[in-house]
Amino acid sequence: MNFGWQLLWRQKKAVAGLIIVAALCLMALFAPILAPTDPGERVGRSHQPPTVEHYFGTTKMGRDVYSQFVWGARPSLAVGFATGLFITALGTIIGLFAGYFGGRTDATLDLITNAVLVIPNIPLLILLASFAGTVGPVAIMMIIALTSWPWGARMTRSQTMALRNREFVTAARMVGEPSWRIIFVEILPNLVPLIGINIVGSIIYAIVAQTTLEYLGFGDPLNVTWGTMLYNAQNSSAIIVGAWWDIGAPAAGIALVGLGLALLNFTFDEIANPQLRSGPALSRWLRLSRLRKREPEAAR
Amino acid sequence: MRIPLRRLGVYFVAFLFAIVMNFTVPRLMPGSPVDGMIAQLGPRATPAAIGAIKARFGAVEQPILGQFVDYITGLARFDLGVSVKYYPQTVTQVLARSAGWTAFLVTTAIIFSLCVGVSLGAVAAWRRGGRFDAFVSPFSVVLIAIPPVIIGLATLFTFGVTLRWFPVGYAYNPDLDPGLNFTFFGSVFWHAVMPVLTLSPYLIGEFQTTMRSSMISVLGEDYVTMGRAKGLGETAVMFSYAARNAMLPVLTNLALMLGAVFGGSIVTEIVFNYPGLGLTLFTASVARDYPVIQGQLLLMTMATLGANLLVDILYGVVDPRIREERA
Repeated sequence: MNFGWQLLWRQKKAVAGLIIVAALCLMALFAPILAPTDPGERVGRSHQPPTVEHYFGTTKMGRDVYSQFVWGARPSLAVGFATGLFITALGTIIGLFAGYFGGRTDATLDLITNAVLVIPNIPLLILLASFAGTVGPVAIMMIIALTSWPWGARMTRSQTMALRNREFVTAARMVGEPSWRIIFVEILPNLVPLIGINIVGSIIYAIVAQTTLEYLGFGDPLNVTWGTMLYNAQNSSAIIVGAWWDIGAPAAGIALVGLGLALLNFTFDEIANPQLRSGPALSRWLRLSRLRKREPEAAR
Repeated sequence: MRIPLRRLGVYFVAFLFAIVMNFTVPRLMPGSPVDGMIAQLGPRATPAAIGAIKARFGAVEQPILGQFVDYITGLARFDLGVSVKYYPQTVTQVLARSAGWTAFLVTTAIIFSLCVGVSLGAVAAWRRGGRFDAFVSPFSVVLIAIPPVIIGLATLFTFGVTLRWFPVGYAYNPDLDPGLNFTFFGSVFWHAVMPVLTLSPYLIGEFQTTMRSSMISVLGEDYVTMGRAKGLGETAVMFSYAARNAMLPVLTNLALMLGAVFGGSIVTEIVFNYPGLGLTLFTASVARDYPVIQGQLLLMTMATLGANLLVDILYGVVDPRIREERA
């Protein structure tokens, strides 16, 4: 694990990703200090371009886009992160059980996993959301999690199957450890890098899905999030009238979270799968081997 | 070509799951949606229409199992019910009108992204650690993480509204009559540019990432060394030896991603006001036209399953080892 952290620190991409995500989280945390204006208050005329007074301009309703942006980060990030964790927990548990127990348990769980995997998620989400009417953050979280755990479950399952017959697991079984203890104490710690990838990937997916649902108008329109900001801006035809700040602010927020998480995920992938590495160490090695190849030719 | 029975089992369960969702969700929701739909029909609410809606959403005195059997037999006859918004049109008619446009968008975007993404992935793996790889590979991961809504809105604002390079709505110029002539096709092409460019970044990112990692593991295989030993040029080894086999995981991934592509196309069509399934779904969800929403889910599930089946078949064609095994 120590090696992993060192590698993480040496990677510029990961550090950049961490800084972006941390900065956005801090912004959400300190929203009352950074944006004392109530995001729902009318502070100016409709669709004012950015000024010193209103850094990001105003919406059609004359609300301050900057303060909506800062306050909107709270539910957007909270729902994204919580859903990501929930998806990962579901996927990991199902994958562990299928991989460890094998046989009929595995056959059933694997069948369900693959079936949920091929059902198109967004149309299913829209079906569920449209029957539920406008849905609050918790319902959005549940709906997204219940339709998108299979990716993680598949990865966890194949890893667990590879670990199941290793010596330390057989030893634990022979000592008479109960199954739950073997799964959670012996096998689970070996899956930590995989779970890391899974969490970051799930958060990315959750944010994409949440934005999509809210943009389509299934979120609570009174609740200020980046997704509902996009929805309201679209409804007031902000783009057509040229009010780019109204759409640009929430879009930039979502794109930045995506960017930060993607940079983190890229590094996690390289840690878990050294074959994929392309960092400074690898380019050094490639340079050396190229030199070595050239030397005999030069000697000839 | 034989397809493993297990795979067919998976597709069957997935399809059954979609049907069961369609059947149970409206019956589980608090407050029946039926009254709302009848109210929406207004003066068009003939006894026949009311009866059809009631039967479909469970507002009838009949045991639940009987309702389910009726529902399934209806589906077998391609009866998806009547649209509430466009009554007396049936759901099948409403969906048929727009399915073609979505199929066109999605297929074009997939073919375009396959060419771009696979080449980028192959070259990145070939020059692993080089400057090209160091830039393209992280960039692809970033592309996957940015929702299509954002890309769509940015494209619309930049190329549609500000620069006015491309038209900002419809599938073709509404002044034109659809026909087999050059002007019409040109118009269709011109209107599809921005939606396709919006759908592609996610796909390119996914294809590049998958291709790169599968290419890296293929490059260690004996047959690649064999190709080199034969004295073939770099390009020949890269494309006809390595890339050809490295394509397999990309194909599997493509089939699994199709659901996400449909999700992206829904949003893209709404942003660009493009008359495909997504826009139909959006108008249906605003109008609470539940039969259309349900039909949509079934249609998209069927399309995804069909694509998966197609990939299972293609797998054998592309990978000679599987072909041998099955023969």
